[in-house]
Amino acid sequence: MREPIYITGLGTIGPWGAGCGPLADALCAGACLASEIDRSAGYHLPAGSRLACLMPPGQLGEWLSPIEARRMSPPSKLAVAASRMALRCAGLAGGGEEETAVMIATAFGPSTNTEALLKQILFEGPEAASPSLFMESVANAPAAQIAIALKARGASLTVCQREAGPLIALGTAAAEIAAGRVRRVLAGGVDEMTPLLHALLDRFGALARRGPAGGPEEDQEAARPFDRRRNGFLAGEGATVAVLESGEALVARGGRALARILAWGSAFDPTASPTGWGHGHRGLARGLARTLKRAGLSPADVDLVVSGASGSRDGDRLEAGVLRAVWEGSPLPPVAAPKAVTGEYGGGFLGAAVLAAEGSPLGPTPGFAEPDPELGIIPRDGALPEPPSVVLATSLAAGGAAAWVVLGPGTEGRS
Amino acid sequence: MQRQGMTGAGGHVAVSGIGAVSGLGWGIAPLWEGLRAGRAGFGTIRRFDPGQHRTRLAAEAGDPPPELLRTWPGWRRLSIADRFALFAALEAVEGAGLAAPFGEDEEVGVYFGSSTGGMFESELFFSDFLRDPRRASLSALSSQQVNGPGDAVARHLGATGPVATFSSACASGALALGVALDAVRSGEVAVAIAGGSDSLCQLTYAGFNALRSVDEAACRPFRAGRAGMSFGEGAAVLVLEPLERVLARGAEPLAVLAGAGSSCDAHHMTAPDPSGRGAAAAVEAALADAGLPPEVVDFVNVHGTGTPLNDAAEWQALRRVFGPRAEGMPLVASKALIGHLLGCSGAIEAVATVLCLHNGELHPVGTDGAADPDLPVSLVLDEPLPLPGARAAVSTSLAFGGSNAALVFSRWTGQAA
Repeated sequence: MREPIYITGLGTIGPWGAGCGPLADALCAGACLASEIDRSAGYHLPAGSRLACLMPPGQLGEWLSPIEARRMSPPSKLAVAASRMALRCAGLAGGGEEETAVMIATAFGPSTNTEALLKQILFEGPEAASPSLFMESVANAPAAQIAIALKARGASLTVCQREAGPLIALGTAAAEIAAGRVRRVLAGGVDEMTPLLHALLDRFGALARRGPAGGPEEDQEAARPFDRRRNGFLAGEGATVAVLESGEALVARGGRALARILAWGSAFDPTASPTGWGHGHRGLARGLARTLKRAGLSPADVDLVVSGASGSRDGDRLEAGVLRAVWEGSPLPPVAAPKAVTGEYGGGFLGAAVLAAEGSPLGPTPGFAEPDPELGIIPRDGALPEPPSVVLATSLAAGGAAAWVVLGPGTEGRS
Repeated sequence: MQRQGMTGAGGHVAVSGIGAVSGLGWGIAPLWEGLRAGRAGFGTIRRFDPGQHRTRLAAEAGDPPPELLRTWPGWRRLSIADRFALFAALEAVEGAGLAAPFGEDEEVGVYFGSSTGGMFESELFFSDFLRDPRRASLSALSSQQVNGPGDAVARHLGATGPVATFSSACASGALALGVALDAVRSGEVAVAIAGGSDSLCQLTYAGFNALRSVDEAACRPFRAGRAGMSFGEGAAVLVLEPLERVLARGAEPLAVLAGAGSSCDAHHMTAPDPSGRGAAAAVEAALADAGLPPEVVDFVNVHGTGTPLNDAAEWQALRRVFGPRAEGMPLVASKALIGHLLGCSGAIEAVATVLCLHNGELHPVGTDGAADPDLPVSLVLDEPLPLPGARAAVSTSLAFGGSNAALVFSRWTGQAA
């Protein structure tokens, strides 16, 4: 039998603030965390999206010294802060992490630095390129800075697979532990949401927008996962990092587990366009069914689906199709859609999945009011009668990738 | 990062097909011909105007075979990195004797490495957009993301298994191969299409020049007076399958991917740990993963960027792993001929390593210059080195951000070791 793999620590920083408590509170309250994005640069269309789930200022002080922060890109700062939180949550000192691996997903990398560097090169000439901006523009800068800050000398891996990235990073980390390559991994996701990136996502039609003038949603810009009126997602930012440990390592140090990783898997829908979702729900359903089967689970064992549905018209349709195909006409378990609170990107979704597996209640889905009869999914509202034993986290990415992680309670790992 | 030995379905993982695009041409044949001849693919950059850059050279992939343009619908809409990736993937799949597109029930995964994906096209877009947001065409951004090449391969081949892109700078391709190796071993996939793709772009060209890491002349790995790296571009793909699956259909493995290992220096964003400790840890982990002692390694395809610090640190790593044997260990330095392919470098050097093992000879660097007295290495210099009995080889990738990856290949001798 495969050695159990546990999540023993969780660090998260984002629009909800710094720490698991603020994220749990926000999810329980079910209040959208969106605020106005800066549109002053002129990148946005006049009728374009105005909101994003953005970091409030002043969250990093406890976790990052100014002398460390001055050399880091925004995602690197967030990732290092979340990693330190995760280690503290796990009861690990954070020093001498010789054999710890780091596996971090990012959809867009350090966008602030990339934009600034491109402006230097394109408008001032290539010799104007700043070396310090360049070294913190690479996608693996956050993972590298975590390793440097924590002296983590295990593998350093950066996953770039858009919305599916954080779950792929978590699954790759679990696979590394399962293969006996490493006993502890810091795994998660990080992204920043700049005005330029926000404007481009909006120009691709990905983001939620206000409803038509004179209509009931004229002033409302919300994600609305699974809702008939959904018209896009809310972009988010932040970082969430989990500490994964082998059962052997956890027992050896007498630690406590938040959750157990029961299974992980991923698949691809080749019908997807490079920037959109496809219609290959049956193929993805086979991938999800295989994922469950590998853990000896059936769909009926799942107590809660923490869905990556974000309010995208096509993405939510595909997600519903995949779930329906796997459950083959049987009633779905309760489905939560926390991206309505946290926004897309930045790892809030991953944090929500781990918190749900730990038994933290998820509240209402902000923006949801009108079920979409084509989808037939009504996000759950309020706490489950009992803490879930099996939580399925799902993430379907634009471009075709999909990833799943199945979590259980961590009680078996308690010493 | 040490591994405890093979797990899961275990067994040997064969390299059943390879494909490549490089500064030496489109395909494996021009790559091997150029490598074997020690012919460098460097020239003045044509992709963009290098006039204002500090340096001008790169090993740029030339024009694609004309029949591609005639027969491939939508070819012109793909990013350059996507085109490289698709060509290499199709060549590798065909070479493996597999039929694409794959069926829905075939468990095929795609594991790719890339540093910048379609950044070249993004630069064209941003050049317009940042001047006037109303004028820019979004189509230039459609495959901009780092995951663009891997996704394009999966889409075109009809792969329905796991698809993941890794972007850990210069170690990306080798890391992707390591993850693919595990996926085949564990039985998660029956076929892994693994490799990398990167195209030249101004962002990385100017960025590395800003770091003063680029040689104004062609790079000279491990040689005296070396002054930095030289850029290349292209793609490389290896098809990985369980050995028994390859043999069952009567195909001949090109080599066995025996092990993979990785580590992080945790030292500095751009400078390697001068002790070579991190790089050595990756090689030792790969050998442990392969279940092979250092003594069976008969050559190393080094990362060998040609920067003073990187080559010195890598030499220290080789000494740590191979001890007194390090000085006599034949070293292959593919970057001297095809340049540094960044996120693809680990993949194309894996292909070069497989070609050396399969053909029984090591390609030369073909570079002039004197030996560096501080790095007493045994580079294969002017002529191919016959080594028909080579048992195993290591390929190293040592990246920006301190990420290290190593792969161990063993020669296919007609029976499993």
